[in-house]
Amino acid sequence: MRNNKLKTAAAIFLLGLLAVPLYFTSTFVLHMFTLVFFYIALTAAWNIPAFGGKFSLGHAAFFGLGGYTAAILYVKLGISPFIGVVAGTFVAMLGGVILSFPLVRLKGPFFTLASIAFAEVLRMVAVDWRSLTNGSVGINIPFKPSWLNLTFTSGAPFYYMALGLALLVIGLAWWIRSSSLGYHLRAAAADEDAARALGINTAKAHFMGLMWSSGLTGMIAVFYVFYNYVLEPGTAFSMDLFSLQPAMNGIIGGMGTVWGPVIGAIIMTPLGEFLRFYLGTIQQGLNFVVYGLMLIAVVNFVPGGIVSLIEPWFKKKKSGDSSAADN
Amino acid sequence: MDDLLVVKDLTKNFGGLAAVSEVSFEVRRGEILGLIGPNGAGKTTLFNLISGLLASDRGSIKLEGEDLTKKPPYKRSAMGVGRTFQVVRPFDMTVLENVMVPTFAHYKTSKEAKEKAFEILKMVRMDKLADKMPANLTLAQRKRIEVARALATKPKLLLLDEVLAGLNPTEVAENLPLIRQVRDSGVTILFIEHLMDAMMAISERVLVMDQGVLIACGTPDEVTSDRCVITAYLGEEAPGC
Repeated sequence: MRNNKLKTAAAIFLLGLLAVPLYFTSTFVLHMFTLVFFYIALTAAWNIPAFGGKFSLGHAAFFGLGGYTAAILYVKLGISPFIGVVAGTFVAMLGGVILSFPLVRLKGPFFTLASIAFAEVLRMVAVDWRSLTNGSVGINIPFKPSWLNLTFTSGAPFYYMALGLALLVIGLAWWIRSSSLGYHLRAAAADEDAARALGINTAKAHFMGLMWSSGLTGMIAVFYVFYNYVLEPGTAFSMDLFSLQPAMNGIIGGMGTVWGPVIGAIIMTPLGEFLRFYLGTIQQGLNFVVYGLMLIAVVNFVPGGIVSLIEPWFKKKKSGDSSAADN
Repeated sequence: MDDLLVVKDLTKNFGGLAAVSEVSFEVRRGEILGLIGPNGAGKTTLFNLISGLLASDRGSIKLEGEDLTKKPPYKRSAMGVGRTFQVVRPFDMTVLENVMVPTFAHYKTSKEAKEKAFEILKMVRMDKLADKMPANLTLAQRKRIEVARALATKPKLLLLDEVLAGLNPTEVAENLPLIRQVRDSGVTILFIEHLMDAMMAISERVLVMDQGVLIACGTPDEVTSDRCVITAYLGEEAPGC
C-alpha cells in the first residue's frame, strides 16, 4: 500500500519536473533548475568512490578532460558532440586510470591531496598547450543551432538533458551501491583489512568505483560545456566549481549514500548562486565564509549529512514491508 | 594423516623483535587445533601471517600443498583461508549486509547473496537480528557476525581469534557448541583462546607459543603437564627449556 503510494507520488513528481519548461518561461528559473540537475549528476558521480571512503578533491580533472575532448573534436575537427560524448567519457576514464595509482596506494587525506595535485597539473597543461587548447583564451563553441551540434535556441532541451543525466547517474549509483561492487566498497570504507581478509580485492573495487565516477563526470562535462558555449582552463578545471562543489554537496547531503548527493545539490546549488549574488557583491569571498560555516556546522552536528536526519523516518516506513517479504 | 595447512619456519620481525620465530606446524584436515600462549606470544601475528595481512620475512605457508606465502589476502581467502578478528570489526551496515559482503565471491546477484547470507545467519542463530545494526548488539552477537562472515567465504580452514573472550559464562556456553558445529560441517579450525576450560574441552590438539616461539604441541593433557608450558605461564625456572 505505502509502497504504491510512494510510487504514485514519485511518478507525479517526475511528470511535474517534465512540465517545468512549460510553466517557467523565465530563463533564470529554467537555468537554475538545469544547474541543479547538472550538480545532482556531478555530485552523484563524485560520490561513487566515496562509497569506498575515498574523498576526491580532483574531479575537476575528469570534468576538464571530458569537456575539452568534446570541444576540441567539435571546433577543430567538426566532429559532432554526440561522438564527443563518447570520446570525452573515454578520455576522462583514462584520467581515472592515472589517478587510480594514488587511489589504491594512499589513504585518507593523502589521496585527497594527490587528487588536488592531479587536477591542478591538468589545468596547467590546458593553459600551456596553446596549439590544442587555445591556452587561457579558451575555446568558444560557435552558435550553430542544431540537434547534431548540441546547440539550441531555447534552454528547454538542456533542461531535459540535465534532468536525464541526473536520473541516469542516480540510477547507476543506486545500482552500483546495491551490487557486489557497492558492498565491497562499503566494506573497504568501514575496514580495509577486514574486507581483504574476507576475500575482497579492495584495490580492484576502488579502481572500478573511480572508473564509473570519472567516466560519468567526463560525460556530464560535455553537456555542461555545450550548455555554456565556452570553456577555458580556469573554469573547466576549476577547483571551486567541479572539485569542491560536488564534495561540499556530498558532505552536506550525506557522503556515500544514494540520496545524499541529490539533497546536497538541491540545497547548495540555489543557495550558492544566491550567496554569490548578494554576499559576493558586498565583499568578495563573503559567500565562501558562509559556505565554510555551513560545512563546519554539518560536519560537527550532522556528520552523516542531511540524509541521516531523514533516513530514520523512511526506514520506519519501509521496515514493515521488508520483514513481511522475508517471512 | 591428511595435512590441510603446513607452516614451515615462519618468521616475522618487527624491528629487532622476533614476533614469530621459525614456527613450524601442520593443521590436519577436520581437526580443531587450539593455539594458546601468554599475552604477546605472537598468536595474532601468526594469524595475520597466515591470512596474509602481514607479509612474512621467511618461511612458507602451504594449503593443500599450494604455496600461499606470497599471495595477497583476498586470494588466500578464495583458496580457503577464512578468519575472524580478536577485536570484532563489523562493517557499518546491517547484520545481513555484513554477511552479504563476502557472499558475493560465490553468488553474483544480490538476491542470491542475500538468500545465502540469511542461511548462514540461521546456522549461527542470528537470523532474527538480520536487520539490526551491529553497533546495537551485544559482544557475543557481534562475535557471531564475525564467524558468520568468515563462513560466508566458504573456508576450508577457519582461523578463530578469541571468539569467546569477553563473553560471560552463559554466552560462552552458547557459543562453544557453534565451533564444534562449524567443524562438523566440514571446516578445519585453528583457534586462539585464553579461556583454558573452553580450549581443553573442544580442541583435539593444542599448540603453545611463547615469545614468538612454538614451545609445545600435543593433546590438551600433554601440554598442560609440559614443563616448558608451565614455565611460560607461571614464570618459574625450569631447567631444560
